[in-house]
Amino acid sequence: MPEQAGFYGAMVVIAAATMLTGLYGSKTSDFLVASRALGPRWNAAAISGEYLSAASFLGIAGLVLKGGVDALWYPVGFTAGYVALLLFVAAPLRRSGVYTLPDFAEARLGSVGLRRVCTVFVIVIGWLYLVPQMQGGGLTLHAVTGQPMWVGAAVVMVIVTLNIYTGWMRSITIVQAFQYWIKLTALAIPVFVLLIHNAGEDPGLRNSLGASAPPTFSHATDITLDHDVVLEVAAPMLVRAVGIEDGQRVNGIVPWGAGEHRVAKNTRLHFDAGSRAPVVRGAALDNDKWMRPLANGGHPLLATYSLIVALLLGTMGLPHVLGRYYTDPDGRAARRTTLLVLSLLGVFYLFPMVSGWLARLYVPELLVNGNTDAALLLLPRAALPGWPGLLLGGLIAAGAFAAFVSAATGLMVSIGGVLSTDVLPGRLRDFRAATAAAWSVPLAFVLAVSSLDLAQGVGLAFAVAASSICPMLVLGIWWRGLTDVGAVAGILAGGGLAFAAVLPAAAGVLSPGWQAMLAQPALFTVPLAFLTMVVVSNHTSDRVPADVSRILLRLHAPDRLGLSEDRDLDQLGARAGMAALPRMRGGRHRR
Amino acid sequence: MSTTERIGGVGAPRPVDPWAAAHTSTEFATLRQRFRGFVLPMTAFFLAWYFLYVLLAAFAPHYMATKVVGNVNIGLIFGLLQFVSTFAITTVYVRFASRNLDPLSSQIRERVEGGAW
Repeated sequence: MPEQAGFYGAMVVIAAATMLTGLYGSKTSDFLVASRALGPRWNAAAISGEYLSAASFLGIAGLVLKGGVDALWYPVGFTAGYVALLLFVAAPLRRSGVYTLPDFAEARLGSVGLRRVCTVFVIVIGWLYLVPQMQGGGLTLHAVTGQPMWVGAAVVMVIVTLNIYTGWMRSITIVQAFQYWIKLTALAIPVFVLLIHNAGEDPGLRNSLGASAPPTFSHATDITLDHDVVLEVAAPMLVRAVGIEDGQRVNGIVPWGAGEHRVAKNTRLHFDAGSRAPVVRGAALDNDKWMRPLANGGHPLLATYSLIVALLLGTMGLPHVLGRYYTDPDGRAARRTTLLVLSLLGVFYLFPMVSGWLARLYVPELLVNGNTDAALLLLPRAALPGWPGLLLGGLIAAGAFAAFVSAATGLMVSIGGVLSTDVLPGRLRDFRAATAAAWSVPLAFVLAVSSLDLAQGVGLAFAVAASSICPMLVLGIWWRGLTDVGAVAGILAGGGLAFAAVLPAAAGVLSPGWQAMLAQPALFTVPLAFLTMVVVSNHTSDRVPADVSRILLRLHAPDRLGLSEDRDLDQLGARAGMAALPRMRGGRHRR
Repeated sequence: MSTTERIGGVGAPRPVDPWAAAHTSTEFATLRQRFRGFVLPMTAFFLAWYFLYVLLAAFAPHYMATKVVGNVNIGLIFGLLQFVSTFAITTVYVRFASRNLDPLSSQIRERVEGGAW
């Protein structure tokens, strides 16, 4: 089959190129945080490569197909989060000279208890973020080869583990930078070809997106549902159905009135060419509503604000994103890196948005069976007949797979690093053991849960990060009154509540009303976390570290380049009595 | 402490902790003032701009649905402008920090390291 050939061919090319860059990069072996000689360009591409995950690659196209203009919030929020990161934490955190979030917490507030709490949250956020990566891997392999979902998830797991076992951080920076360009190419080429193809299509089809009507099937389509769906119908229509609808067995042509219809798993539906598509509940029904923000009721005002807060503040709490900043030589380079990251992300996000729009024209059946995350994977073969479409589909699938692998690699390096330094005793070998251990939870989750949109799954990780790590960082950097007790209380209150709200939403056990309320709790939990930190800190003000002036000065006055900076750090570590610094300097990460 | 420092050629023993002195210095106060003078208004502006989009979408849907070119309406243009504004804000900040913040903070650091406090 040309599609599988295209997929495997592209995969082999990507894997070979990745290994070659890895070999090239691993000449210098420095683990975890490598020599800081790579420069902002490499670093920016690496951050983008790692950041563009399942949600960005497949999820946004799916959300645009379903929700239209409303889905713009995700890419806008994903990039705006970098501005918040830049303004409030990037340069000071870089200057702190510590390597992980728990290290920062301990160095700033001198508390081992706080360090443990941060460790737990870093791991939980990483796990929440890994789940959609693995789901995406399953979805992609399923779309190309028809394998069950868990196979793709397992393949992602194996590749990432091999990648970490054989690679070093320096090589990983280069590999991740390279991955960005792979992802961009794998997405840009098919989208350009499809746009050229679309320009030559019948204007009636092209303009149908402005019409006040549901999307239509351009050719006769058969759909077999792989899970239960609730479909919304705009106007009465006739459907040929074999299976169970609204609890009754149907076989043949049935009239569907306007409104909702429950259709059971394994039901087969047939739509003639030109017939209007019913859409799953929550998706935009009419095309002109699809083109307008907040028009289809799927995203009420509060949920949208909540999403903005989570994305804006959650980015700074993602462990794998922050980790990259430690490889910038100074605060100035950290700022330049952020600027480059924004342009790289901005360019990339154009393509999933355009493909979501194309998918509304060419693959309306995804609105019926609810698998909107597969939009990008199925779009080429639906739009372009014959082998060109299949080949482009293979290319997209391979690029998507690379996206899951690189995002998951960055996450695993962060989780494994924290597990091995904080939870398990010992040296490098334990980092590798930690990696294996760290897989168990997200894998179990992927096997148990299936029904969440990829981008929404990622949104949950952002909500927890925004309600726990973000307040600790912002107040730790900008407020001298913060105490360890206050920080712990805030993280537990905000982050704990966000996690408690998010978990049932992720498990998909809620009714739609509760789902909308709980799936995006950041609007309430972020202020709660900040407030708790401030109030509790004020009541425990005798616990403000005695050396807070030195530490804050250290965070806000930039260091010089090169060796003097290491000397400063030793000096600071010794003077401030920071337990973490001498230990980190001790060579575990710097051999 | 004082012995090694004299051998190191720094001069008389320091009466105060240089870090604490630097922290209370006017330079550091200016640095913080400049940073806040930029970041707080900018944050207020970009939040207002993002929330404006959502508010318009919720309360002025007909305005947002106005078609400009083909199927492209004002809502869509507003959405895409959010990207542009994000990038613009970042560019302005990076310039501001390089011009107005870095020289001052390098100065503070040099004075701390040179033992001027």
